[in-house]
Amino acid sequence: MASSNGTVQATTRTVRFRIERSDGPGRGTRWEIFDVPVASGGEGSGSANVISCLQWIAAHPVTVEGRETTPITFDCGCLEEVCGACTMVINGKVRQACSCLIDDYAPNEGDEITLEAMSKFPTVKDLFVDRTRLFNDLKRIKGWVPIDGSYNLGAGPRETPDTQQVRYKLSECMSCGCCLEACPQYTLEVEPSGKGFVGAAVISQARYFNEHGTGSTLKKDRLDVMSGVGGVSDCGNAQNCAKACPKEIPLTESIAAIGRSTTFHRIKQFFSGK
Amino acid sequence: MNTVNENESFLERHHYLLRRLHSLSGIVPIGTFLMIHLTTNSSIVWGLMDGKYPNMHGGAATYQHEVNFIHSLPLLLLIEIFGLWLPIAFHAGLGVVYALSGSNNVRRYKYQANWRYALQRLSGYIGVLFLFYHVATLRWGWTFLMPGNTKWDSEFAASTMALALRGETDGFTAVGMAVALFYMVGVSLLVFHMANGVWTAAITWGLTVTETAQKRWGYVCAGLGAGLMAAAWASVIGFATLDYDKAREAEEYIGGGHGSQILEAENESVRHSGAAGSEAVR
Amino acid sequence: MSGSDRQRVLVVGGGLAGLAATIRIAEAGIPVDLFSLVPVKRSHSVCAQGGINACNEVARQQGYSEYEHFDETVYGGDFLQHQPPVYEMAHWAPKVIDLLDRMGVPFNRTAEGQRQLRLFGGSLYKRTHFAGATTGQQLMYALDEQVRRYEAEGRVNKYEFWEFLRPVIDEDGRTQGIIAQDMRTMQIRGFRGDAVVMATGGCGLVFGKSTNSVMCTGAAAARCYKLGVQYGNPEFVQVHPTAIPGADKLRLMSESARGEGGRVWVPAKKNSSGQWEPHPNSGMDPRQVPQDERWYILEEKYPAYGNIVPRDIATREIFSACMDGFGVGGGNMVYLDLTHKSPEFLETRLGGIMEIYRKFVGEDPVEVPMKIFPGVHYSMGGLWTRYSADADYARVKGGSMAFDLDREWDPDERPACGLDPEATDNMMTNVDGLYAFGEVNYQYHGANRLGANALLSCIFDGLFCGQGVVKYVQGRSSSPAAEVSAAIFERGERDEEEIVRRLIDSSGGENAYDIGRELGEEMTAASTVVKSGGRLESALVRLGELRARYDKLSLADTGMWTNQNLSYSRAVGDMLLIADAVLRGGLNRKESRGSHYREDFPTRDDANYLKTTVATYNTGTGQADISLEDVEIGLVEPRLRTYGAVESGEKEEEKATAGASGA
Repeated sequence: MASSNGTVQATTRTVRFRIERSDGPGRGTRWEIFDVPVASGGEGSGSANVISCLQWIAAHPVTVEGRETTPITFDCGCLEEVCGACTMVINGKVRQACSCLIDDYAPNEGDEITLEAMSKFPTVKDLFVDRTRLFNDLKRIKGWVPIDGSYNLGAGPRETPDTQQVRYKLSECMSCGCCLEACPQYTLEVEPSGKGFVGAAVISQARYFNEHGTGSTLKKDRLDVMSGVGGVSDCGNAQNCAKACPKEIPLTESIAAIGRSTTFHRIKQFFSGK
Repeated sequence: MNTVNENESFLERHHYLLRRLHSLSGIVPIGTFLMIHLTTNSSIVWGLMDGKYPNMHGGAATYQHEVNFIHSLPLLLLIEIFGLWLPIAFHAGLGVVYALSGSNNVRRYKYQANWRYALQRLSGYIGVLFLFYHVATLRWGWTFLMPGNTKWDSEFAASTMALALRGETDGFTAVGMAVALFYMVGVSLLVFHMANGVWTAAITWGLTVTETAQKRWGYVCAGLGAGLMAAAWASVIGFATLDYDKAREAEEYIGGGHGSQILEAENESVRHSGAAGSEAVR
Repeated sequence: MSGSDRQRVLVVGGGLAGLAATIRIAEAGIPVDLFSLVPVKRSHSVCAQGGINACNEVARQQGYSEYEHFDETVYGGDFLQHQPPVYEMAHWAPKVIDLLDRMGVPFNRTAEGQRQLRLFGGSLYKRTHFAGATTGQQLMYALDEQVRRYEAEGRVNKYEFWEFLRPVIDEDGRTQGIIAQDMRTMQIRGFRGDAVVMATGGCGLVFGKSTNSVMCTGAAAARCYKLGVQYGNPEFVQVHPTAIPGADKLRLMSESARGEGGRVWVPAKKNSSGQWEPHPNSGMDPRQVPQDERWYILEEKYPAYGNIVPRDIATREIFSACMDGFGVGGGNMVYLDLTHKSPEFLETRLGGIMEIYRKFVGEDPVEVPMKIFPGVHYSMGGLWTRYSADADYARVKGGSMAFDLDREWDPDERPACGLDPEATDNMMTNVDGLYAFGEVNYQYHGANRLGANALLSCIFDGLFCGQGVVKYVQGRSSSPAAEVSAAIFERGERDEEEIVRRLIDSSGGENAYDIGRELGEEMTAASTVVKSGGRLESALVRLGELRARYDKLSLADTGMWTNQNLSYSRAVGDMLLIADAVLRGGLNRKESRGSHYREDFPTRDDANYLKTTVATYNTGTGQADISLEDVEIGLVEPRLRTYGAVESGEKEEEKATAGASGA
């Protein structure tokens, strides 16, 4: 449909991809290098991104040495940075591959782009990692609004536009894991312990649910987790999370807000005994 | 969550309390002491300016005066053990455990806050080594670690401190130079550690939630850090460049149990709350 | 009793429809196994942006109603849908919104804390509820959270990164489970289920680049189709008017951009006779183009609806303007302009898409008009399903019961012309126990879906028809799937392993990625905005070539650990089947209706084609056999669908002018 028919003629240049590959968990890693032709300057055709280059490699799996290899295994979904799947480490920093435009990252002939799998999650294969821990941690904090079932019981609690704006921003978290990859306190667990640091994404989600009228009925449970092992106090305030977040969620605010809540929670608990 | 789980270690069961005590201990008593200590020590420089002790090394005299006051406190050893050494051991011990739970990544994420995260841990490691050296040599008298086997003497506080930093009365021995540099690095890191720690503590406890509040508090902490850094450097440089003989002269004048005859003269010229302390010493 | 203890439902697909069904079924106490190619939170529903439609009090007091919502949907769909399901859905819409609200969806709010509303295509009333411009994502997360809750309670088992391979249907034609493959370990195994809900979404990837996510291949639907499940209206594929082209996909720029006041225009100049002509310098900085050299192509032709005409109409207007040489810079682009709106307004209402445009195009739509072009977006067609109309439908249709539109109906007392809530066959395919919910279900949207109705239909299917699944499963408690002989599962596993082996062993030198790309290019060229008999015929020939080449694949990766190459190659085979049904359905339909525009038959032909296309897979020819089935139009008589286009000379119906200002 929307195909290239621009007035400016597209030109092609070569971009070199260095990709860290792995055949599976515990099978070691190796580097493979690919030269990918990238069109640029053709208005209307849309610029290439890391995903379109990986797709090109899938159709032409040959390294620069001329050796035939397998297509790169990687996770992706929406390709518009709302699903969070294609998170990987690009040129040393974690981000989504879909929004990584080649014209920005490698504007000149022969420029190099390095791709690695996220290091804080177990690798399944190549750039594809297993982020189950993140979803399990959302269970740990009871990340839901405890409604009385799905039958019609009228509207939910009213909400001011200000609260809505705060919650909306937090709700944009797509569980991509950028904040966790960039966090010096979040470390790889090959076997999930259920005690590891939950990281900024999950802390922010705890705040999200605590801010909701009905969601706040589980606030105590969430703050128990948040003030336990792997909770908010494991944060080291490096604040990389907020910098790495592609959705610009105010994660450090969430951490401080949960810090404040746990302070009150524990003091209250100390005196009430509950 | 609060049920006792046998598989949980002591650290896990009291995770939150320990974390918060760790944070608190850094501010009270350790940070508070650091502020007092650096103010006192920097009197080696500001004592020069205040003109209270004309005709002698005012810095050494003021400093000796302060030291005398501290050494006049009752149960000093107990205060030191419970107010300082144990809290520092607690803060440092847990600090190392916590620091080991992370792995810094400033090489990849070169953000200012991330540098501070890394530096906070580095300053903790080096700072605790420095403190150990500092207390062991000056307080516990481990003279074999001192340049020129100096023994610090609270009655000749400034002059023996100068020796401790230099190894000789005039100029520096090689070891002395190393110790002086170690002091410069050590106190700088500790000051940073405290200022940055106060900043992060405000987030940890939930005092500063919004980005704006964190930024504002950041300026306050930077100001605090700058002030303390000035005091710290003044102290080290002050002692390291001290005129040994003049200091000795001033110390003898103030007296840490010596030269009682001078005290009357002092009492006349000094309108100073610490004066009572000097008397107690006598 | 032992039987019912072991009963469970398998839900395939974890988007809005699958999650809503899972919630409703698990809530009823029946365990659910939920299968998804991706962690369900990453399902394609997150890409929905604009909002979700429902009658609401503000609109109601201006004359809107559930009935109006129903009528708009049918009018928007060019009358091709069965009316009882649409009627039921429209009446359920306010309840769906309330439920989502209770789940904590951060809907935009008014100063008073009420849910904010916006205009959307095909309606003159504000009846679209929204959460910024990421409504789909927000709804998805709310449902995902509820499912996570049930998962934590042990009522739901998730099988994420598992690929559905086929339904398991016994000799009596009853569904007993599925065969699926773990995409990490590549293990193929059967799962027993007393009912199977397919909620696998659309097939945008058949058209190569579309606004769809990479998993929207339509393969799951094709795998059912191949085993005898019928496919309805395959030729109806929605092309969204406003997408931004990219090298890997087309990124949607929500209809809400127009709902919130966005204007579509191209630089143009009027000649002496007052006709627009292409601008000699149309590539110039859009901010420098004087007002009188901007042709607002939709506003001028559709004064009542303006930029919010339904998608098929907006798409054709934009497409033909570009074909006539009006495209920006002579290319395939028009402007979608929001620069007259304040930055704060745009940030709260449309922040999500503003960000996408900034990130992927590198320009700020607050400052510069966006450059957009239509892109394949949604499949109205899908697995054919049946339903049971409620008691009053036959009476109203037969004329024995009056449906007084002028009366203000209490929503709970309105005539029961929708679906029978007691029935077990609502949205069940022609195979017993196999349901299709959401986009993979061909119901509700007819020949063209109205914006912000998709989220509604997905959740409605899951909630309303999920009840039917529960009743169906309860009805077979004496013969649960758990007691079925293992043989049919073993056979299914063997057959699928055989398919894998054939792909792995094949060494004909063809590359699945090339075939997929060529298929997409051909389908886009032949079967999207403008179709013709000749072009469709030639596309079928081309498709035959591609299918022949597909039989000679060589896989670059033949390993048996997380082999995405295998998964994609297998899906390409299924996409070729869907493409065949799309082309044959389009070829057979010699009229123009909704999204289906045949330049050789440019008008609607109710006499012959007010009918559902039903595609049945012919195992002998490997092609779709096309038949036509009557559409249930017992409530609203089909009328001319002009949306008040001025050149048509028609006087637009009553409401076109009525609601325009007040809504």
